[in-house]
Amino acid sequence: MTEALIVTLKVTGLATLIIAVFGTLLALLLARARFPGRTLLELLLALPLVLPPTVVGFFLLYILGRGSPLHDWLGLELLFTWQGAAVAASVVGLPLMLQSARAAIAAVDPELEDAARTLGRSEPEVLLRVTLPLAHRGILSGLFLGSARALGEFGATLMVAGNIPGRTRTLPMVVYDAALGGDLALAAQTSALLSGIAFLALALTRRLEQPARR
Amino acid sequence: MDARLVVDIEKRYPGFHLQVRLTVGNEVLVLYGPSGAGKTQTLRAIAGLVRPDRGEIALDGRPLFRSNGRGRALNVPAHRRRIGYVFQDYALFPHLTALGNVAFGLRGPGRREEAMRWLRRMRLEQVAGLYPSQLSGGQRQRVAIARTLATGPAALLLDEPFSALDPDAKGRLQRGLRELQAELALPVVYVTHSLEDAFAVGQRIAVIAEGKLQQVGTLEEVVSRPASWRVARAFGLPNLLRARVRRATADGLHLDWEGLELVAAPRELSAGQEVLAYIRPEEVRFIYPDRPLSAAVRHNRLRVRVLEQRLGPDFRLVRVRTEGPSWAELEVRSPPSTYADLPLVPDRELEVAIRPSGIVVLEALPQAEASAEGSSGS
Repeated sequence: MTEALIVTLKVTGLATLIIAVFGTLLALLLARARFPGRTLLELLLALPLVLPPTVVGFFLLYILGRGSPLHDWLGLELLFTWQGAAVAASVVGLPLMLQSARAAIAAVDPELEDAARTLGRSEPEVLLRVTLPLAHRGILSGLFLGSARALGEFGATLMVAGNIPGRTRTLPMVVYDAALGGDLALAAQTSALLSGIAFLALALTRRLEQPARR
Repeated sequence: MDARLVVDIEKRYPGFHLQVRLTVGNEVLVLYGPSGAGKTQTLRAIAGLVRPDRGEIALDGRPLFRSNGRGRALNVPAHRRRIGYVFQDYALFPHLTALGNVAFGLRGPGRREEAMRWLRRMRLEQVAGLYPSQLSGGQRQRVAIARTLATGPAALLLDEPFSALDPDAKGRLQRGLRELQAELALPVVYVTHSLEDAFAVGQRIAVIAEGKLQQVGTLEEVVSRPASWRVARAFGLPNLLRARVRRATADGLHLDWEGLELVAAPRELSAGQEVLAYIRPEEVRFIYPDRPLSAAVRHNRLRVRVLEQRLGPDFRLVRVRTEGPSWAELEVRSPPSTYADLPLVPDRELEVAIRPSGIVVLEALPQAEASAEGSSGS
């Protein structure tokens, strides 16, 4: 279980990073920019919320595997690695982050951004000093939720990275193997650990969503 | 006065066409008009927050925007225009303290000290560490002005900055604004829909209505001689009326106001022409029933019935209804001491007289507009 815990932490850590960066950028794009195909992009990004994770994993096999630009041009070997598992987990966690971050950014009064502009601040400065600080609660709460979802991801990571002990086997897979193999004690312990983490993440999210006391 | 800020812009919105041309010198120019007239859109265009379709904006000879509506345009982004903008609800950053807000537009190591200097100057040093939600309306307003001035703008735009304040705070800030303008020698555009505000801070006034600039001039000029019906309506001027020219003679312009004859100051207009006019409330005099008539009340005598009277610290205002075929309401204004011995109680019947110079004929307008405006009342 220790091995699996370490793999899980690595996968979740990298997935959180990916969700944080792409989630923030995509949330900004969806909240502030108007461009053709915006609705389509929105729907595609929300799709993992409702698709079976195995289907997401199946698509990712093509996107990350042989013949894909990521593999052939960038030389990224992601299939059956923990990094691949992290990509799969982040795709499933991203929509949760997007919903919350996007709403928070959209709720920032555009007049505050205008005020920052008239005070001599350029667009990147407006973003870093006004928009993101004012939306930080929604962004963080979305990030916790997304990364908690990434932590518990099973189907998509299994499809993309397999179930290799010490390399790609994560805690959710330990539960699956233990339960099938009759080791109910291990399954119970692992489930309890995952439940505890999930509960903490939700509690944190909840706290962030409460209005600031100021 | 030398023009420092030159604006000549045009922008089409759905159902609204903004067309503004004005120059601002080293002064406070009041941009006055009803809500929805295009005042804020004009400020936003000057600040670079919206892009006009065509036109030109220049500050101290530095072009900020230039476009003929086609091809390449010059459009300096808002953050490089050096135009200070004080927003209607101040737009203070809620996540920063008063000090943080004022320091926001400053750069370099001394920025906090510089911000503190501005706070002190606005008598805000004791609230430097408070957040906007902890400040009073007047304090927020001063933080917003300090924040804008700290960046050293070359022009200042204020959007209804005093609308949410109590009269006391308002008066202080209005005096402060005039002093600041004189001291900093900035062109200031001050947007308001309140005539009182306009008089308190402004030197010149630009009247805007329905997206178009109607008239620019000194306050006295524009109020005493509105260039059009729209300007008069924008001011909420009382005693607007529609009449037809009977004849123009050397002694005056004879008007037919629904059967009543009124004599206005002489003007070259042809008989039959429909005109829009207004009667200056301070030029309407009550005639004492028991005294001999003076020469001043020879003209324009109307029978009226008193509706109500309001006595202010520096004015007496009486609303009356004409007892003629027109049944119009008139406002009569005088110093409070006048008519002290003439009880103007409701329902009392009296006679008023109006000097011809008190009847101001506005531009004779096209028939269609005249009837449309006339039916909507004033």
